[in-house]
Amino acid sequence: MTSDFPILTFLIFLPLCGSLLLFACRRSDDLARGVALSFALAEFALCVWLSLGSTLGAPAGAPAGFFRFEDAAWIERFGIRYTLGMDGISLVMALLTAFITVIAVLVSWTGIRERVPLYFSLLLALQCGIQGVFLSLDLFLFYLFWEAMLIPMFFLIGIWGHGRKIYSAVKFFLYTFLGSLLMLVAIIALYLMHGDQTGSYTFSLAGLLQTDVPYGLSLWLYAAFLLSFAIKFPVFPLHTWLPDAHTDAPTAGSVLLASLLLKTGAYGLIRFAYPLFPDAARAFTPLLYVVAVFGISYGAWVAFAQKDMKRLVAYSSVSHMGFVALGIAAWSPVALSGALLQMVNHGITTGALFAIVGMLDERAQSREIATYGGIWGKVPVLSFFFLFFCMASAGLPGLNNFVGEFLVLVGTFRVAPLAALGAFLGIVLTLVYTVRLVQEVLFGKENKPLSLKDLSLREAGVLALLALVAVYLGVHPGPVLDLFQVPIELLTK
Amino acid sequence: MTLADVFSIMPIIIAACTTLVVLLCGPLLHSGTVSWIAVVGSGAAGLWAVNTPTAATPALPGLHFTPFAQFLIPLFCLSAVLTLLFSHGYNERRAIKGEEYPATVLFALFAMCVLPCATNLLILFLALESIAFAFYILVTMDLNRAESGEAGLKYLLMGAVAAAFTAFGFALIFAGSGTLELAGAVATPENRAIVSAGWGVVVIGIAFKLSLVPAHLWTPDVYQGAPAPVAAFLSTSSKVSAAALLLMLLAFSPPMPELRAPLYVLSLLSMVIGNLAALLQKNIKRMLAYSSIAHMGYLTLALLTGTREGYAAVLLYGAVYTAMNLAAFGAIASLSIDEERDLISDYAGLGFSAPLRGGVLALAMLALAGIPPTAGFIGKFFIFYSAIRGGEMTLAIIGIVSAAASAYFYLKVAVQLYMHRSRVEAATPRPTPAAESLALCGAALFIIVLGIFPAPLMRLVDAALR
Repeated sequence: MTSDFPILTFLIFLPLCGSLLLFACRRSDDLARGVALSFALAEFALCVWLSLGSTLGAPAGAPAGFFRFEDAAWIERFGIRYTLGMDGISLVMALLTAFITVIAVLVSWTGIRERVPLYFSLLLALQCGIQGVFLSLDLFLFYLFWEAMLIPMFFLIGIWGHGRKIYSAVKFFLYTFLGSLLMLVAIIALYLMHGDQTGSYTFSLAGLLQTDVPYGLSLWLYAAFLLSFAIKFPVFPLHTWLPDAHTDAPTAGSVLLASLLLKTGAYGLIRFAYPLFPDAARAFTPLLYVVAVFGISYGAWVAFAQKDMKRLVAYSSVSHMGFVALGIAAWSPVALSGALLQMVNHGITTGALFAIVGMLDERAQSREIATYGGIWGKVPVLSFFFLFFCMASAGLPGLNNFVGEFLVLVGTFRVAPLAALGAFLGIVLTLVYTVRLVQEVLFGKENKPLSLKDLSLREAGVLALLALVAVYLGVHPGPVLDLFQVPIELLTK
Repeated sequence: MTLADVFSIMPIIIAACTTLVVLLCGPLLHSGTVSWIAVVGSGAAGLWAVNTPTAATPALPGLHFTPFAQFLIPLFCLSAVLTLLFSHGYNERRAIKGEEYPATVLFALFAMCVLPCATNLLILFLALESIAFAFYILVTMDLNRAESGEAGLKYLLMGAVAAAFTAFGFALIFAGSGTLELAGAVATPENRAIVSAGWGVVVIGIAFKLSLVPAHLWTPDVYQGAPAPVAAFLSTSSKVSAAALLLMLLAFSPPMPELRAPLYVLSLLSMVIGNLAALLQKNIKRMLAYSSIAHMGYLTLALLTGTREGYAAVLLYGAVYTAMNLAAFGAIASLSIDEERDLISDYAGLGFSAPLRGGVLALAMLALAGIPPTAGFIGKFFIFYSAIRGGEMTLAIIGIVSAAASAYFYLKVAVQLYMHRSRVEAATPRPTPAAESLALCGAALFIIVLGIFPAPLMRLVDAALR
């Protein structure tokens, strides 16, 4: 393969090709599943292949730290360019996206019985949007992917969801849409300011980083970015769309939302908002500490009170993402690498928990905790994975979340001991709801006589894959942290 | 008058001749043949306009084929072609017979082709009123429906008032400047007051045509009553031609700072009230009517900046808006069987039982909401960009927030199409005729391709304003 082959473009649009191809598979559901899985696997293989090249030097014209870079003129009138780049952070996020999509295709294998080709088509289109967000280095292009991502998710929740699916889908859409429109105003304002200062009008991140923004205005612009990303994050009190969307989405939808879409908010904050407005970001740091620490405890506290398992996992997401916010607020190399690692960890464990809840739901048509009880003896394999991922989510040493939370706490403790202390108390609350969940579902009295079947080979395989990654990241996070090292040095210097 | 002059105004001649041919031969031919003649005639006029170099001098006194006209004429022709393709099947189902329908559409097109070529106020006025005249007839075309006649009467009364305002405004400008030539009708220190007053009155007249709040009250009733393909044509080409008239007055003459205040108020009210009122609608055509009020508010926002960027944004948005609304109304026309499919809830489940039309309608809604990667996003981006650049930050933010709220009612249609079970009493749609499929696919393609590759259209827009 020649070096000027646009591999990143290929990476983004391969899922879209699959998505369009699926329209031709309207006759056969099995064929559609097969096609979707092959495209998801191909995408994953491509990501793995790309990760082998992570030690390459920067190509010509690429900003420092980027080992893959593509740039082409797109809309010359506004100086909008089609700029893609991959550094360590993007690579890990792209890998996570590809991996979770494979999982998402597999967990919806039998659960989705209606309009199967359209379902997988939207799943792959969503993947295209997410990969685009993680790889864009032009703010206009980024914004385009950022918004385009909403459409497939909206339909996934609205068509295949449960309960108040339409309400949840519309709420999800409107929250994110309003936030991102204000970001668009900020992007245009920044673009005009840069153009007026330098005479070259551009949306490229590298160019806009050179803008000299007056402090007062930068506060407003940063606030617009922060609002948009914080909604996606989601940071308390902008999280109210999340429990609804997660609960009412189909299983794979919840997995993708939790594992990937929430990450785009954190990624945007790290990649765009902080570097573009460092002074304003510093001014907002106390606020971010407060909402992060409060979010950790609040999410855990509310999770404790839930009766619906999916809602419980959704609120636990709010809590876990608080750690990511905390790490970003601290903005020290250790805390930031912890936050990035925690993004991956949360993607793995929460994705797995949603998948397990989905599997239980498929078996007993209920997500109520009260329905279950004492299933440990009946479905040992499922119960094992349930316990495993609950422990991982609670931060058991040796599993993935422990490393991320530990790094975040250590990094934060140096700069903001009080915030670290608050977050630590939050971990205790995490244990409380996790133990309650495990106790009431796996052990305890059998509340209703249920005849559950244990995991099929496919389901066990999916969970085993996720568990392997969780263990790997727990005992040997070095390679992933190494990937973060160069970009983080450049970000925090 | 040289041969080159004749060539340069050929689109106008083609439109006029096709009108006559259709009227004269209509009674002798099969109605399908008549429709196809009309389609071919409009298409030919558009293609001719695209491929003819613009003229350096006026072809006739008062008619000049400028780059501005070269941009707009093909747009109007395209819109007429799509309207005719949508109407043939629709009219057959409704027993709207006779060649007068395609002939009137062509007559409107003829007037629309004249409008951007006009170089003096009289021709401009004649073109504008000829367009309105054709629409008075088209709106009432469905004789079997009482609403159609009611809508026509409302439109006629309002239109007459608007025409009176516009004519009075032109008269004041003429009285002040002493000329009907567009290039000469400018304000000088001596006649400032009277010419400004004239412009103000013209703006009132155009506000009626663009249905800007508070001159919008006719719009929902007319859209609801008119046959759906006519509403498609009315909401796109008629609006764009009114906006083009305002552009010709503003863009090609010295700046008029005193017009900013009235345009500001019109734009603000239209964006806010249009979107808020659309939120409450249960009838899809009324919803689209309020939505078009809001969209004209966005257009006015770009217009009032008084900058080249703003004018370019108006032209680009005009093209994009034409495609979006044609797609929306076209899908509605095609999905309406014996009766209009009026309520938004009548569209339940149609995304699956009529995939092409449902899909195009959903796409049009997403585009109207301004969601990428559709052309609607590029259009909105250009509008708000030019507004911020022109220093209208406050109004731009108000517009953007109201646009975010508008996503709710556009999504409501998508929700009905895909997320509700179809109701039994809603009749299953019949298969799509080839002509309608062709038109719908064309509009959808336009929306998507322009959303991803807007650069060529931007070049055309810039060339049109040179």
